[in-house]
Order: sequence, then structure tokens, then C-alpha cells
Amino acid sequence: MLIDCDVHVGYDSLLDLAPYLDGPTRELVEHSGTNGLAMPSYPWYHPSGWLRKDAYDPDLVAQGRQIPGQNLDTVRRLLLDPYDVTYGILTADEAAAFSIIPNGILGAKLATAYNDWLLEQWLQEDARLRGLIVIAAQHPEAAAAEIRRRAADDRFVGVFLPGGARIPYGNVIYDPIWQAAAENGLPVAVHTHFDGVGISPPVTSAGHPDTYTEYHVLCGSGMYGHFTSVLLSGVFERFPGTRLVMIEGGVVPFLGYLWRLDVDWKACRTEVPYCRRPPSEYVWESVRFTSQPLETPIEEDALWPVIKNLHPEQTLMFASDYPHWDFDEPTHTLGLLPEEVRDAVAFENAAKLFRLSAQVTA
Amino acid sequence: MTANEREVRIAATELPAPGEIRMVEIRHHRIGVMRVGEEFHALANRCPHRGAPLCSAGEVVTDIRVTGDGALELGEEGALIRCPWHKWDFEIATGVCPVDGQMRVRRYGVRRDGDGVIVSLDSPRRAGASS
Repeated sequence: MLIDCDVHVGYDSLLDLAPYLDGPTRELVEHSGTNGLAMPSYPWYHPSGWLRKDAYDPDLVAQGRQIPGQNLDTVRRLLLDPYDVTYGILTADEAAAFSIIPNGILGAKLATAYNDWLLEQWLQEDARLRGLIVIAAQHPEAAAAEIRRRAADDRFVGVFLPGGARIPYGNVIYDPIWQAAAENGLPVAVHTHFDGVGISPPVTSAGHPDTYTEYHVLCGSGMYGHFTSVLLSGVFERFPGTRLVMIEGGVVPFLGYLWRLDVDWKACRTEVPYCRRPPSEYVWESVRFTSQPLETPIEEDALWPVIKNLHPEQTLMFASDYPHWDFDEPTHTLGLLPEEVRDAVAFENAAKLFRLSAQVTA
Repeated sequence: MTANEREVRIAATELPAPGEIRMVEIRHHRIGVMRVGEEFHALANRCPHRGAPLCSAGEVVTDIRVTGDGALELGEEGALIRCPWHKWDFEIATGVCPVDGQMRVRRYGVRRDGDGVIVSLDSPRRAGASS
């Protein structure tokens, strides 16, 4: 059994969402700019391609007909079938930008349409697929309403937030989102994406990096900011039942931050009174990490002595990041871990978090 | 193409142009044949990094280098093959990854045969390859 916690899907263009939009938003999508509305994106191009080159048909892409690697047949052929994936958790690609455009009202409308599209085009089409609810975090009330709208549908198993944000997710302005998610038992997944794009500040306070390579090394930094913010602001105390997933932030850096968090909390806890216990205690109970991109030291044996301190048997979940260029191949990733934790990472931890059974039912 | 047990001949009309990859199969070995300059080379369709289909889904690219005076220049045209998954490059002529000498793609023999070439399961040296 294998659960892949990060499978990216997307539409060809925003126009694909037109059937799911209300009239005024559809008008904007169709008539903005010269070719319709477009989302902001990274100021760099990947030097050798964002995506696995075997995941798309270049001729179809040239015609604007296919998002690379993101049509259902391709996902089945290259991921679900060959790796015998029991469940694939679908994560946003361009749709993550709905959360970092300045206009939160527009972002919320687009997010609602995207979730309808995701349900109709993907979740209804293959029983192995589950979705994360895309929301516009810059409009927390609308985001909470969207969570509540989807919560009864068990094909949606969590909430998606990008790493790029106006301010860190533990801030009280986001309380409606945490409240709606906790009330409905839905984990909130923060996924590295669009850090430094739109209304989010540069990927680090050093300023915007010159190159994509720099960005990619640094892009977990937003994740560490959200991780620290959510823990110290007491979200887990204020909204009991909250569960947090950190997707594509790596694994090793979180451990260093967690060690620092526990020490600083002892000295500064009167400033953060809602964080009542050492931050690590909340992590073991309620925070989960996905494996990709798993750090790869030159000496592979060096990995386990470090990451075992993050209690992977309890906190780590496999993710491939298909179809992106830094895709982690399941057999290799799981093979880096001791046998006694492989099942936990491959499926047990994710099954518990997302409440997925071992049997897929159509 | 004609084949015996260990070899496949590629006729002149089917030879890859520079930048192209021609796939052949010999005894379940999937092999990519490429041309760099006037030389033909044959590499296994398996990336040594994570096992991706290097030749059937990869692409031929040209290196970008820094010269002694700090300017940028192109390397030999079409001398690298880039893995479709993680985008690692390998020298087509040697199979070696330019930034990690431990990473080597398996090479196969290629020799001229009239106006075509013969690809064989033998190592390049045994096959008398020009590569």
C-alpha cells in the first residue's frame, strides 16, 4: 500500500474554470488583459524545465492543449499504476496563486470554481484520488466558508495553503481558517509554492534571489516561518483538533528549527502564552511532514541518524511531487529508511491523518 | 535495420541527426543512439541516478561554460543528454555526468558499416567504436 501525499494537477488555462464561475468572475477571466486573466508566477524560469519531460506530449503542449503531466491518463500511466499507488492526494499547481493575488475576493471565487473543477474532472473519475480544498488565504472569511462548503464531501481530505503568504499563518487574521478546518476535522497542508510571488514577501529577508536555483534551495524558508508561527501562536490550543501538514519543505531543516523552538520557548514563553507546552509536543501529536524533497547527503548513511530525531515512524509521510523535476521515486525514497518505519511512511501515517481506509471503494 | 543476436544495424536513412536520439533494442537492452559532430554513440536507456528512461524521454542539449576571462560560451553543440526526470546531464561520448564523475551511463559499441552504423552489446572498445 502506498499513499502519495503530493500529486500536482492543473488546468490548461483559467478559461477551463469558466463553466464553474459565476457570471461576473467569468467575465473577468475571459476578458482581462489580451488573452484573458492570468495568474502571477515565478520571476525565474527553470533552466532545464519545471516538469518531468516524459510526463507530457510536446506537440499537445505547443497547441496549449495539455498541462504537462497533469491529465488523468498520464497520471495513471506514470504514477498511479506503476507504483501501485493506493491513494494520491492532489495538490494545486497554478491554483495555489489564488492565495497570493492582491484581490482576495477574486481569489476566493477562483478557488471555489477550482474545487468544483477538481471534483468533476479528477476526484469523480478515479477512486484512488483525494483532493485538498484550495482557498484564498488573504480572504479568511471566504476561505472558511469554502472549507465548510466542501467539508461533508470525503473526497476532500484537507485544506491547501501555499508557502507564499502575506503574513505567517499563525497570525490571528487567519483564525477563521483554523476554526473551520478544526471544526470539520480537516488537516491544513502548507505546501512550498509561490514564495516571493504576488503579495508574499521575498523568499528570505535577504531579498529576491537572482536565480531559480537559489530560490529552489531556499523555498522552504516560508514553510519554516509558517511552522514557527502556527506553533508559537497557540493555534493547536486555540483550535483543538488542529492538524498541520508541511509539504515539500524538506525534512532535516524542520528538526533544527524544532530544537531551537523548544529552547526559545522556555525563555520567552510569557510572550506566547497560548503555546502552553514545548512546541515539540504539539509536533509529535499534530504535525506531519512529507518526505519530498528528502535531503540526500553524499554519504546516504548520514541521513537516518539525523531524521530519526523527527520521529518519522509517527510524523513522516511519503510524497513524490509528481510531475515536477524534483520528483522522488517511491522505491528509492522508502529504501533510504529502515525497514521498521517504511510502512508508516509509505501509508500508515497518511492513512491516519487523512482518514483513508486500506480498501479503495469506487 | 537488420539484427543478429548481439547487434543491430541502422541504415543511413535512419541514422540520428545531431540533436536527435534513435532508439534501438537488442535482447531487451533499450539503447539510445546519438550523433555528436561526425561520431555516433550509444547509451543505455537508464539514468544511473534514479533509473529514468534517459534516452527515450531525455533530450540532447548543449553545455554552457565560463571561459577564463569570465565570459559565457557554449560547449560542443549537442554533446550532452539531459535526464527527463531530475535534469542531470551526461556526456554523450563518455556517459559521464560532468558534475559527478561517479555517475556513468552504460555505453554500447557503435561502429561504421558502409553508410550505416552497427550498434552492439559489446563495450565500445571491444566493438571497435570510434566513440
